[in-house]
Amino acid sequence: MNPYVLATLLFSLGLGTTLTFASSHWLLAWMGLEINTLAIIPLMAQHNHPRAIEATTKYFLTQATAAAMLLFASLTNAWLTGQWDIQLMSHPLPTTLASLALALKIGLAPLHTWLPEVLQGLDLPTGLILSTWQKLAPLTLLLQLQPMNSSLLIILGLTSTLIGGWGGLNQTQLRKILAYSSTAHLGWMVLVLQFAPSLTFLTLIIYLTMTFSTFLTFNLNNSTTINTLATSWAKAPVISSLAPLMLLSLGGLPPLTGFMPKWLILQELTKQDLAPAATLAALSALLSLYFYLRLSYAMALTMSPNNLTGTLPWRLLPSQHSLPLAISMTASLSLLPLTPALTALFTL
Amino acid sequence: MTPPHFAFSATFILALTGLVFHRTHLLSALLCLEGMMLSLFVALSLWALQLDITSFLASPLLLLAFSACEASTGLALLAATARTHGSDRLQSLNLLQC
Repeated sequence: MNPYVLATLLFSLGLGTTLTFASSHWLLAWMGLEINTLAIIPLMAQHNHPRAIEATTKYFLTQATAAAMLLFASLTNAWLTGQWDIQLMSHPLPTTLASLALALKIGLAPLHTWLPEVLQGLDLPTGLILSTWQKLAPLTLLLQLQPMNSSLLIILGLTSTLIGGWGGLNQTQLRKILAYSSTAHLGWMVLVLQFAPSLTFLTLIIYLTMTFSTFLTFNLNNSTTINTLATSWAKAPVISSLAPLMLLSLGGLPPLTGFMPKWLILQELTKQDLAPAATLAALSALLSLYFYLRLSYAMALTMSPNNLTGTLPWRLLPSQHSLPLAISMTASLSLLPLTPALTALFTL
Repeated sequence: MTPPHFAFSATFILALTGLVFHRTHLLSALLCLEGMMLSLFVALSLWALQLDITSFLASPLLLLAFSACEASTGLALLAATARTHGSDRLQSLNLLQC
């Protein structure tokens, strides 16, 4: 893509999210979300492939619907209570409607059905932007709402973790697996939102780091299915030895970083007398752990039947810069001992 | 619930229902999206008249600007879909299923 166009679109993405971060009026927040949607559409459709265009159309329809519902919720709040401040939204009907609209924006179950298909139609770098940057602005708004009905967020969170785990079990396409993993992680984030918002923030940052390194690993290996992942060990053997650990970190196994948010969330839910919900969430994490384990098994624990060793690719000098991957991989594997420091750092 | 509030809420919910239950053509979804935005425009204008504060009268124009950008993006995607898939029928948007 033309570098000026690419720079404009990336700066617009930054502008939209910053606008939503900085706003206390619902109209300005809605404008930031709209700028984000409009800026990512050309990035998604740049390849003009039928699958990319179909994914872009589906993404546009869902995001436009969600943004319109959000503005309707804030207008209803204005007509009922007379003000537009985000943090003072206290009437239960607009709050519920706004929470559902933001759930549609980020892909929480049961409003998640667009996410696997949209992520499947994109190339891996654009999919990375969709999975990481586009979640920031709506989660900021969700953090500032105070839901009257405390069971809505718990139901959304538990449904997301269950469906994120179950849905990913039957997939062989890596991008769809990452979409269901995104739904499951967002479910964990939303589960603890009303009790300890700083835990939501911590989970978000750790999820961003892990997803960033996952997408970059798959991009380096140029693999989008389990089969291509299985034969990619020869391209960069060091990545193939670290990637299973990174996938298990996504699954939440100690002593890797991914265990930290799950541990702290389960502790917080138990303190709030929600032990059945905590048990259900922990059991549903086993479902997603299974497909992460399957990916690491295919990648590094077996050698898939290949023709000859002569078909292994040449190990040339890497053409892409791997410094971001190195930093995020280190962070997503080894930050568990720093739990107190990170909890103190990411407090709201 | 005052009559203007009921009016724009009913319009919005009807257009949302039309968007959610569209079955044949992509264009009907885009039209319902425009209907939703129109009802929000009317609601914002009536809000400014309700409060009698003239500085709020600029907000419907801001909404209209963004909604126009969104509508043109939707139409561009409709044209792109017609180019790659042959028509805007929703049954032909089935390349990405599991």
